[in-house]
Amino acid sequence: MADAAVVSDPFTDLVGKLSAFNKALTTRTAIAQTPKELVWALNKAKLYRYIPVVPKEQRHPVPLLLVFALMNRPHILDLRPGHSFVEFMVNSGYDLYLLDWGAPGPEDKNLKFDDYTLEYMPRAVRKLKAISGVEEFSMLGWCIGAILTTIYAALRPGDGLRNLILLTAPLDFSNKEAITFARWTDERYFDVDKVLGAFGNMPGEMIDYGARALKPVENYVVNYLKLWDNIENPHVIEAWQAMNTWVTDNIPLAGGVFRQLIVDLYRNDRLMRGEMMIRGERVDLSCVRANLLTVIAEGDHITPPCQSKAILSKVSSKDKELYSVPGGHIGIMAGSGANKRTWPKIDDWLGRRSG
Amino acid sequence: MGDEQAAREKPPDPMEAFRDLRDTYLDAWAKTMVETVNTDAYARTTGTVLDTYLSASSPFREAVEKSMLRVLEQLSMPSRADFISLADRVTNIEMRLDDMDAKLDRIVNVLTKPATTGRRRNPGSALPKRQSKRKSKGAK
Repeated sequence: MADAAVVSDPFTDLVGKLSAFNKALTTRTAIAQTPKELVWALNKAKLYRYIPVVPKEQRHPVPLLLVFALMNRPHILDLRPGHSFVEFMVNSGYDLYLLDWGAPGPEDKNLKFDDYTLEYMPRAVRKLKAISGVEEFSMLGWCIGAILTTIYAALRPGDGLRNLILLTAPLDFSNKEAITFARWTDERYFDVDKVLGAFGNMPGEMIDYGARALKPVENYVVNYLKLWDNIENPHVIEAWQAMNTWVTDNIPLAGGVFRQLIVDLYRNDRLMRGEMMIRGERVDLSCVRANLLTVIAEGDHITPPCQSKAILSKVSSKDKELYSVPGGHIGIMAGSGANKRTWPKIDDWLGRRSG
Repeated sequence: MGDEQAAREKPPDPMEAFRDLRDTYLDAWAKTMVETVNTDAYARTTGTVLDTYLSASSPFREAVEKSMLRVLEQLSMPSRADFISLADRVTNIEMRLDDMDAKLDRIVNVLTKPATTGRRRNPGSALPKRQSKRKSKGAK
């Protein structure tokens, strides 16, 4: 019997595409797959060490600690096998640690930068040193994680921090015209105490809305159209699902930190002006002596490039560099070009300073 | 067979022109919206909407909280405040354990590496400066 010709009608095609679209929207894929072990925990914070794959004698002796933002899961650093910054760095021979802040509960509403930088981070660093058996380490801070690492580096310059990498670091809030968040959170329009009085912590959904509303058409329309246009391409679907899994996993931001972020930084630019106080200590950026690499994303709407440049003129580091990458806030580390530009640059810069 | 040949053999897509038109329109719309959200008018509007929502929902929220508290009391069950207080105490215990862990590490270091005193960590630098009392209630 001759094979029957496969006939497809437009409705069947449409139903097939819609089914695939629904599946892509509702399926949560496994992310953060690189093997790791829990080595320390305090409250919701956890310190993980990634299982090395390079023999000890070939590894870089100086370990690297990743510090991500407080209001998102750090899984974006380890999105999916074959496209993971963590996997790339582990394969490149780094002894890699991740400080996962976890999701704050109602009991954590008073947590401030003070607690994260002077209570949690020094303890995690101590554990890292005890495990790795070395006195010096490197830190990579991304977004609010970059604020935390900068404050830590300024307040504890003698703790052995050799290299500091800041990714899309929102440190300079002087140019309010260029920072949309600064406009939205201006004291004339935004009552931070009323919001925190109602919610305790800043709800993850509100933070997510704020981030998406900076580019509403891209985030609410184009993102889904791109998926629809490529619905028959399994590679695009796989990448989209992994990113969507991460983006939709919102966690709240501790109320105390949110208040400091708005009042001390967005409104009063206290860090860059040298007026920020952490547990009675003034954060003096000139105390930062570690080698410094600042990575900025040219198309960043969340942290415009102007927010990350001034740090270079404030620190005392003799070895400092600004690296500018085309792309957005997340795209420079998790986009399709990240493994060709940002990751190799970080590896190259850090590798030469981790011997 | 090369990609070029495959592309030549690909049937024409009648929707391609529509998609180009759509993308051009979306680009223009996206730029306009980015400019729109970065205005004082937008900031004022969203601020007012949020403020109104918080004011309007406040009586309901408070009523629910009070009645829930009463129900929990009637059932002899702990309230949210009780759990928060408990969590605070557990975190304090965790910190004490971490302090002890740090001290043990230092003792082990001294006992196992007596000859490498030059590499030994400064005891003061390894631990965060403890506050004699928590700065604020509930802070970890």
